[in-house]
Amino acid sequence: MSDAYNPRIVGFLCNWCAYTGADLAGVSRARVSSSLHAIRVMCSGRIDPLYVIMAYLKGADGVMGMGCHPGDCHYLKGNYNARRRFVMLESIFKTLGLDGKRIGLWWVSASEGKRFAQVTNEFTELMKTKGPNPFREEMFI
Amino acid sequence: MTPHQERTGPGAVPAQAAFLPAPEGTKKAVTDFLKTLMDQGGLDALLVPVEVPDTPFHAWVMVKKSEVLDKAHPLPPVMSVQGGRALSSLTKHGTPWLHIAAVMRPCEARAAVELAKLKQVRLDNVVLITIDCPGALPLAEYVADPEKGQERYKTVADTWHENEFLRPACARCHRFSLTGLEDGPSEGPAPDDAPASVDIHIGLLGEDQNGILLLPVTPSGAEILKKTGLEADRPTAGWESRVRDLLKKKKEKRQAAHEEFRKDITGLDRFLTVFDPCINCHNCMNVCPVCYCQQCYFDTQTQFCTSSVYMDRARKRGALRFPPDPLLFHLGRMSHMVLSCVSCGACEDACPVSIPVGKVFSWVADETQPAFGYSAGTDRGDPLPLQNFLKEEFCEIETPSACGQAQSTEVKENA
Repeated sequence: MSDAYNPRIVGFLCNWCAYTGADLAGVSRARVSSSLHAIRVMCSGRIDPLYVIMAYLKGADGVMGMGCHPGDCHYLKGNYNARRRFVMLESIFKTLGLDGKRIGLWWVSASEGKRFAQVTNEFTELMKTKGPNPFREEMFI
Repeated sequence: MTPHQERTGPGAVPAQAAFLPAPEGTKKAVTDFLKTLMDQGGLDALLVPVEVPDTPFHAWVMVKKSEVLDKAHPLPPVMSVQGGRALSSLTKHGTPWLHIAAVMRPCEARAAVELAKLKQVRLDNVVLITIDCPGALPLAEYVADPEKGQERYKTVADTWHENEFLRPACARCHRFSLTGLEDGPSEGPAPDDAPASVDIHIGLLGEDQNGILLLPVTPSGAEILKKTGLEADRPTAGWESRVRDLLKKKKEKRQAAHEEFRKDITGLDRFLTVFDPCINCHNCMNVCPVCYCQQCYFDTQTQFCTSSVYMDRARKRGALRFPPDPLLFHLGRMSHMVLSCVSCGACEDACPVSIPVGKVFSWVADETQPAFGYSAGTDRGDPLPLQNFLKEEFCEIETPSACGQAQSTEVKENA
């Protein structure tokens, strides 16, 4: 193991796409960063913006939302709703001077195991360069 | 910005309005108008703030009696209960079977419109009437010394937003007149089908200070005015240009205040200090008109973990504050309601430790709502941003981007 900072990333994975994609990544023995702490949700539209803020304030270095590609949602439009929620979150983060790059939304289908590994690893690398979330050490929040 | 729903653009300013002379001051004229509405307008009752006998306070009352209307005025010195909340408690559980009118400040009417979209208010049988609002006084100061407050409030109506006694939310309010005017086209008549948020607007800023203007904004508003026998024959251009002048000034003031605040608040350390005095009373949430949930997550036990979790967290952090996560409450609440925030300042009024909650929220709202081409409470026909979407929009937020892959079709949810 290198001495590089190992970030903690919380991922909210849609049951129908990204979570199955993650499973496929495991089955096909792709290398997936161990930084990702996956939380299964039934739909990316189920990701309450509160979850993202909670993960961020409690010290997660990054928060990933993953859902089905547009048009492929199991519930027809959940991912479109998720997209608008993330737009709102990003705007709130930007306005308040928080780091909006620490949150993001990806579309990963159930068959994209490789892509799941790739985006997770890329995001982990990005968080490594960013270093720890400043809220992690903050005791008065 | 990315493609979003094209705004139909409210701001339907009627070219002509009825005029009611006010030989004994505008307050008396407004009261007279309310009485006329009751007598001839075909309305069964009015929901309006009424002076509580022997106290310096007003309360929302549904009035039918003409002698009670003598004590009614839509512009009390303080905003103790937000009008949107009052209307919500009346109409939440069913359309009123009486034909009523609610007479409120513009921010209260905007809250009512937002609540209607959230299914907390029914506007089916309700006529919304707003009035040019000179602002209100800080609630805590007024309660401490009502007499002084009343003296001060007399000066407020003369100075129109240049008053030092105004509460901060009103001092930087740029939506004090007919809702939609601030976003609408600056010149030329608005399109006929432009949706509006209110039915009748009472203009106090007309050229002729010896009377009030009654603007029929919607057809139903026009019909009611017609029934009262008031002829809409006065041009509103003078009133509109005066309002727009003031709007422009106030908008600049608001932007300057936000810019200054940005310097004060952005960055982790400074951001924390703003919310540090929070005593976890949740007053801001309880008085907020658009915070409507029956059971808020932050009022439940679900948010608390077992002590071992806290021990663990404290060990990792080195220290931990209790009760935990006051900042999470504010940011979480923000993420839930900021797109509907009408900048009424009720939260600020209610804060016992004077946190500028309203300042933070209205600032974030001003930055966030435009991303969706939305302006809270302005337009009854504009769906809530989170209840609506386009198949292709906000491409920069998603990876991979879905834009350019399919024909763009608008999908609206029937909530």
